[in-house]
Amino acid sequence: MLLQLKEIHKEFDGKVAVDKLSLDVERGVIFGIIGPNGAGKTTTIRMVMDITRPDSGEILFDGKPADSGFRDRVGYLPEERGLYKKLTLEEVIVYMAELKGVSPRVIKPKINDWLERVDLIDYRKKKVEELSKGMQQKLQFVTTIIHEPELLILDEIFSGLDPINMEKIKEIILELKRRGTTILFSTHVMEQAEKLCDHICMISRGQKVIDGRLNDVKAQFGKNSIQIEIEGDGGFISSLPGVKGMSEFNNYIELRIDSSTDTNTILKEVANRVLVRRFDIVEPSLYDIFIDTAKIDPNQPAETGENHHV
Amino acid sequence: MSKFWVIFKKEYSQVVKKKSFIISILLTPIFMGGIMVVPALLANKKSTTAEKIVVVDQSQMGVGQKFVEEISEYKLEETEDNYYDVKELFTVLASDSARFAQVIDSLRNAIVEKELKYFLVIKPEAHMVDSNLYMVTNSDNFTSIKRFEYHLSQILSGIRLEQSNVNLGVDSVLEITRRIDLRTKDALGESIPFEIKYFGALILVMMMFSMVVGFGSLCMRTVIEEKNSRIMEVLVSSVSPFQLMLGKIFGLGAATFTQVSVWILMGSLLYTQRAFFDLDPSIDRLLFNPVIVIFFVLFLTTGYLLYSTAFAFIGSIVNNEKEAQGFIFPITMMLMLPVILGISVVQDPNSTMATVLSMTPFIGPSMMMMRVVFVAPTVTEYSLFSGIVGEATLALIVVILTTIFMIWLTAKIFRIGILMYGKRPNLPEILKWIRY
Repeated sequence: MLLQLKEIHKEFDGKVAVDKLSLDVERGVIFGIIGPNGAGKTTTIRMVMDITRPDSGEILFDGKPADSGFRDRVGYLPEERGLYKKLTLEEVIVYMAELKGVSPRVIKPKINDWLERVDLIDYRKKKVEELSKGMQQKLQFVTTIIHEPELLILDEIFSGLDPINMEKIKEIILELKRRGTTILFSTHVMEQAEKLCDHICMISRGQKVIDGRLNDVKAQFGKNSIQIEIEGDGGFISSLPGVKGMSEFNNYIELRIDSSTDTNTILKEVANRVLVRRFDIVEPSLYDIFIDTAKIDPNQPAETGENHHV
Repeated sequence: MSKFWVIFKKEYSQVVKKKSFIISILLTPIFMGGIMVVPALLANKKSTTAEKIVVVDQSQMGVGQKFVEEISEYKLEETEDNYYDVKELFTVLASDSARFAQVIDSLRNAIVEKELKYFLVIKPEAHMVDSNLYMVTNSDNFTSIKRFEYHLSQILSGIRLEQSNVNLGVDSVLEITRRIDLRTKDALGESIPFEIKYFGALILVMMMFSMVVGFGSLCMRTVIEEKNSRIMEVLVSSVSPFQLMLGKIFGLGAATFTQVSVWILMGSLLYTQRAFFDLDPSIDRLLFNPVIVIFFVLFLTTGYLLYSTAFAFIGSIVNNEKEAQGFIFPITMMLMLPVILGISVVQDPNSTMATVLSMTPFIGPSMMMMRVVFVAPTVTEYSLFSGIVGEATLALIVVILTTIFMIWLTAKIFRIGILMYGKRPNLPEILKWIRY
């Protein structure tokens, strides 16, 4: 186990932000902490980084309480991002690596490779302030990984990135995983977690609601979802017998049904009223699992004072 | 420790590489020198034009005439012309008040119009009633006024003597009763002119002030910048906040040290040319006084540490420089206190007030420095436990203890404050952080 959180607890002004949370992050996995805004993801990550201290509980890295060497073995990309605007890209990368205990001699030969991968090679000698916001985000990602950390902690890494850059970062994350890096990342966007994670932990209002390997979690919920594409008004579907819930997406509708319900019955009922273009029996999405479990919609932010406290 | 050096190096080179650093190294001494040297040069400027004066005499005892004769002894430096150009000697009868009023009126006008520098009015019985003698002038040339005072005293004393029953020649009485010019010397039998000590102390205090406020506030600004750019969270995931704080304080301290070194070098060059500046040789006793030199270095170092820690504290709890302004003012006031209190301290550097203030945290470094400059050159024996050295040592201990406390306090506040955005914490919140 590379990282263990044991019953960590944190309150701000009497408000519980993280409630006796325990996590085990195995070496070499991509571990996703998911949950709506204000669920306690950032506070949890900040406690792992020793930026905030838990009120109680223990955090172990490699079986021991984190010591001073811990910081050098971790790469951390916080949700709140920023870089020295007046320095050049090269200077920023070298300085950040030096702060991780890696000498400029080791880092300098690697700079070109990484800048090339994120399409910033032409800016090596330019100042950070000349970059667009998205470019700065890629640069910051490079500064987070260039010292080859064992554990990479990424807080809401994809927020603010366009699809092309998102894809690029995703590729790099998967490559780092293949090289043995353990990646802990948080997101409130379930689809991203679903595409990347080996292991997920859902938290809601500071409490863990689901924790397990992605496949196991999904298997546990069984094939009790139906995706259908229809022409016409499907408003009646939610009131059909056996349908527990319905989420409407742009092009299709997703239904959660009782395990005892015959899917054929539902198909017949729907086909009687509207034209059915597609009818798939699928594994539930994380989004559905989350709603089923936490009984709240992850797209509706909870009311907590995230980021105002340390 | 190695991380400390990474931050140290970054903060140091960030300052030293800047053009503004080099400019300030060169310009500050010129500016400060200008403030101090130019007035001194102007004061010593040799007069080349005669000063115009008019005398109105109602005494009927020839006082005006004698005065005019005596002041015509003064000559201008270069041309050997009279220093005082007596435009007119009016002799007006005491009874002719209309004429007197008319003359005075026109003379007042001339003074206002700057056609005339002085006019002296000698009323009847001036030798008996002091208020019957006065001078109207638009000049602050106290050398001239002192001369006038001297000659008038002599003339009027002579008249008083003649009218008295003293059976001695006027000249011999004046000789017997002549005024002396009291020269002050210190215990070492030498004297350092007051101005030299005062300017010396002022230069040292100003140097301390500009270093501490200049670089201390820079420490604050870099913290604010790192907070605003949200880079702080990444920094503290790589180094401990304490390392970050110390790296900044010492890195900028090294920049301070660089600047002072350059200035000392420039000062030494100037010193080799001291003949040109017509410096009083007694300045050596300030410059090479070991007590002054040692305590200046010690107070500058500890004072810098104390204040830059205080500035780091402020930087960690505010969101922008505007918010910080409110805190900076009281801090700078404390350092400037010796300059503000000025004369009252230097007239009696061992007064209870000056002694207590020099032992007070934050005020101590500059106040004690001021006192050391005034007291140290007159001391014959140095003891670590008494006298100025003992007091300065005590003040130093106070500063060191305050600094240690400040570093402890700031370390507690810093790690929380640097990650606070938005609302500025109030006092109860800050107190809560200390207990974390």
